[in-house]
Amino acid sequence: MAKVPVKAGEPDGKKLQFDKRRVTNLLLRNLMALVVIAVAIYFTIVRPQFATMANLRTILIAAAPFALIALGQTLVILTGGIDLSVGSIVALSAMTSAAIIVGHPERMLLGIIAGVVVGLIAGLVSGVVVAYINVAPFVATLGMLSVASGLAYAIGRGAPINGLPVEWGLIANTRFLGVQAPVLVMLAGFVILGVIMTRTSFGMRIYAVGGNRTAAEVAGVNVRGILTSVYAISGALAGMSGVILSSRVISAAPYLGKGYELGSIAAVVIGGASLAGGRGTVWGTMLGLFLIQTLNNGLDILVVPAYWQTVISGILIVSAVAVDMVAAKRSSG
Amino acid sequence: MSRKWVAGVLVVVLVLAVGLAGCAGGDTGDKVRVGVTVYNMSSFITQGREGMEAFAEANDIELLWNSANNDVATQASQVESLINQGVDAIIIVPVQADSLQPQLQAAADADIPVLAVNTTLSNEELITAAVLPDDVKAGEQEMQMMADKLGGEGKIVILQGPLGSSPELDRTEGINNVLANYPGIEVLAMDTANWAREEAVNKVKNWISSFGDDIDGIVAENDDMGLGAVQALKEAGMSVPVVGIDGIEDGLRAVESGDFIGSNLQHGRVELAAGLAVALKVINGEEYEKNYWYLMPEITPDNVDQFIKNVVTEKDAFLETLPELMAKNLESGDISNEEL
Repeated sequence: MAKVPVKAGEPDGKKLQFDKRRVTNLLLRNLMALVVIAVAIYFTIVRPQFATMANLRTILIAAAPFALIALGQTLVILTGGIDLSVGSIVALSAMTSAAIIVGHPERMLLGIIAGVVVGLIAGLVSGVVVAYINVAPFVATLGMLSVASGLAYAIGRGAPINGLPVEWGLIANTRFLGVQAPVLVMLAGFVILGVIMTRTSFGMRIYAVGGNRTAAEVAGVNVRGILTSVYAISGALAGMSGVILSSRVISAAPYLGKGYELGSIAAVVIGGASLAGGRGTVWGTMLGLFLIQTLNNGLDILVVPAYWQTVISGILIVSAVAVDMVAAKRSSG
Repeated sequence: MSRKWVAGVLVVVLVLAVGLAGCAGGDTGDKVRVGVTVYNMSSFITQGREGMEAFAEANDIELLWNSANNDVATQASQVESLINQGVDAIIIVPVQADSLQPQLQAAADADIPVLAVNTTLSNEELITAAVLPDDVKAGEQEMQMMADKLGGEGKIVILQGPLGSSPELDRTEGINNVLANYPGIEVLAMDTANWAREEAVNKVKNWISSFGDDIDGIVAENDDMGLGAVQALKEAGMSVPVVGIDGIEDGLRAVESGDFIGSNLQHGRVELAAGLAVALKVINGEEYEKNYWYLMPEITPDNVDQFIKNVVTEKDAFLETLPELMAKNLESGDISNEEL
């Protein structure tokens, strides 16, 4: 009878294999976090200026408006829907705020509120169309994309709004402990939505609607209410993002935010969410977002031309998600 | 029986409606009609429209305005539509230089003159006339301003327009022409921010992370990006010379306040109105040049006040002088002149 060879120094060959698999699974489950860390390490090695507090703040302030949109998108995608209108809502809210405050620096608060409310209303409309009229989310929000974009152009009669009061820039530039206000808004959004999704029944119901809508309905969940809410939240967050963006550059253009919806969907998907709904986390979205933002920042620091940046980002992102898919299969199999 | 009666009434109404519509469509009258299609309603084009409308009103021209939303296919169908509407001339501010060949051919076949304004079209033989800014010269001017400010030595970063667009290609060429004379100036980074302020602010912040105080100057191929750069510098607590092109309202204010060391004026109202003025010449069978060059005046802290008046604070008064100004400029060939 042959003896199973055992390596010196360990009591049981089988036990080591078990530990190894646990470690591998742990790594694969947190793959995205590891990728972000690996990318950051790579950039630091090539150009140490990457790893400074100032650069971290640069990444954060650039990420803030995208983060708000991605957070809203997460909730929508969790219900099995999608919000294609967020980019246009950014433009619409920026133009609305600008139209209100141009020549009237005293109306700043009104401008901020109007920007967010415009986004909220747009999201509400999309939500009602999806939840009560049963139009597919892709179609409903695509329609809102066109409507909101057209309205943004209409507000400026086709043109950007220049000559905004300097005070408008204070929203994006006021610092607390060295950190610009939009970063704090982003962190607050992350924490609040994270708590909502993991600790409240509202969050649970969102997962339920996305996971199995019929079962949720049978269980007494107000599906229509949930659906309307997530689009409204997405719209409001996009509105806030528009206010922040226009404040940072003290101007508003009707093409602001163009294409941002794709970036937000990418962040959510990289974060591990399923486009079919029911699977995904706020934390995952933030990781996905920071992967994208870190790549943008690092590649600029390395002075990689813009066209190569898109090639590298595309390959890296798809690879990361592909490995994540494989990992998910392995850990469940 | 009542159904047939209703059907009969509907048919009569329909025939009348179509007949009337046909009449209305066919009656063009004596007014000159010029079709316009622009790449997008940027600040510059919106300004330009004011100029065109002022000139059109003074000269009894009807303008058919179209905006192509940065889409070549949309612009192509707009040109086709204008040809079908039988306009007297078509003015194009192209989305892309290398485009619209079939539409240009169709216009030529229909005997409709086509003018390119602000950006050229590569099928030059199908263009009747063009009013173009000398973007190479503008690039040279702004780089020279920076070189003078830096005393010929220093490290700069350059913000470009959308890569491959003709203004970007020309302005970059101009910048490189002047750089060749200054071996003491090093370009740390050169990349596109697509004419957009919010892109430029992030790009410059990232370059500041990389190069920090090494950056001695920022050359922006348009004012919008330059203003984004100014914002980035403020956030980083730095102050460095910035130069731009276009002279949009916010850009002029920046020269006034010192945030910009200077800019180069591309006054949309003047440039686009000139395009319309040349179109009118062609329509009326008068003599015209194949190419009119808009040479951008330099904007410096010394002369910015006059430009602010013409472009911003007293623009209505300026618009009133426009029709007469066009006549003077086309005569002298100095398209960018702003004084009667």
